[in-house]
Amino acid sequence: MDCTQFKTSITAFREDTLSGDQRRSAERHLAACPACSGLLAQFNSLDAVIAEQKAASPNTFAATRILQRIENEFERPGKIHSHGWVRMLQPVAIAIALLCGILIGSYTATKGTPGTDQLVTSPGNIEFLRSNLFISDFADEDKILVLNK
Amino acid sequence: MTEPELIEGILRRDRNAFQYLVNRYEKQVIKTAFYFIGNMEDAEDLSQEIFLDIIYSMGSFKRSSTLSTWIYRITVNKSLNMVKKQQRRGIMVRLESYFRSVPDHGVAKEAEPSHTGNEVEKKEMNEMLHAAISRLPENQRIAFVLCKFEEQTYRQIADIMKIGLPAVESLIHRAKLNLQKHLVYQFSEYQKT
Repeated sequence: MDCTQFKTSITAFREDTLSGDQRRSAERHLAACPACSGLLAQFNSLDAVIAEQKAASPNTFAATRILQRIENEFERPGKIHSHGWVRMLQPVAIAIALLCGILIGSYTATKGTPGTDQLVTSPGNIEFLRSNLFISDFADEDKILVLNK
Repeated sequence: MTEPELIEGILRRDRNAFQYLVNRYEKQVIKTAFYFIGNMEDAEDLSQEIFLDIIYSMGSFKRSSTLSTWIYRITVNKSLNMVKKQQRRGIMVRLESYFRSVPDHGVAKEAEPSHTGNEVEKKEMNEMLHAAISRLPENQRIAFVLCKFEEQTYRQIADIMKIGLPAVESLIHRAKLNLQKHLVYQFSEYQKT
């Protein structure tokens, strides 16, 4: 067995699932190769790391904090809890609404509003402009009076 | 309190049922989240969201599996979502630090807390293991963590993941091979430094 072969069978070696011949070959290689022995030692040290992780325990007040959170959640009447997919759809709905608004706005801007010529030529529109822009019908008459004076 | 009583209690929003639920499943939820996230404080924070999700989703619990299996499913999904969020945040932080990076010539770095050689080695081993696990495809990661850390049987893992027993065996086998590949590479790099 060489280094490459040992590296691909290191898990099987550790789990003792190699055949008798393969195992003996791996052991011979380990005796002669310090690099692979070191590698095996590192793999073996992982067991201690995993054991340490498994032994880690949560904070003693974790349960109290969870219960407090649940209490707070149910103390607020009328609060609607939305599911994950509802929360996910909210920005999509807002984006669609915005897009619709922009499309409708641009459509009405090009199609719905009359041109300047139309505004001026229609007598109804002249009245409308006069009343809204505070142009009095008497403005011209006043001007004539001033000139006559 | 039996399982049906607990479920009914939660559906009635009964405080005693909430208390029983938290006391009964707190360790399972926090530790499973911890194995995926790799940080106990984050796992504890996430467990609050998980319990709220359990309570709100109890109405949709079909009772075709045990409550514990169903809680495992919620915990795994929430934990994986959290890991994804953290990864996205990590990318953003790295990008930010890349664009904000200023030369710190002459600025003394803060002294890091001192660790003994053994502690440092353990910490590094832990990081390497966690990095290797987080590089596994999602299904392999779930099966491996539940098997190796949570010590669940293949049957239980099959129920949690809603897959068959041969699929679990295959996932765990492939996970071990992938981990071996990642770790051999990482350990070789570590030996060089």
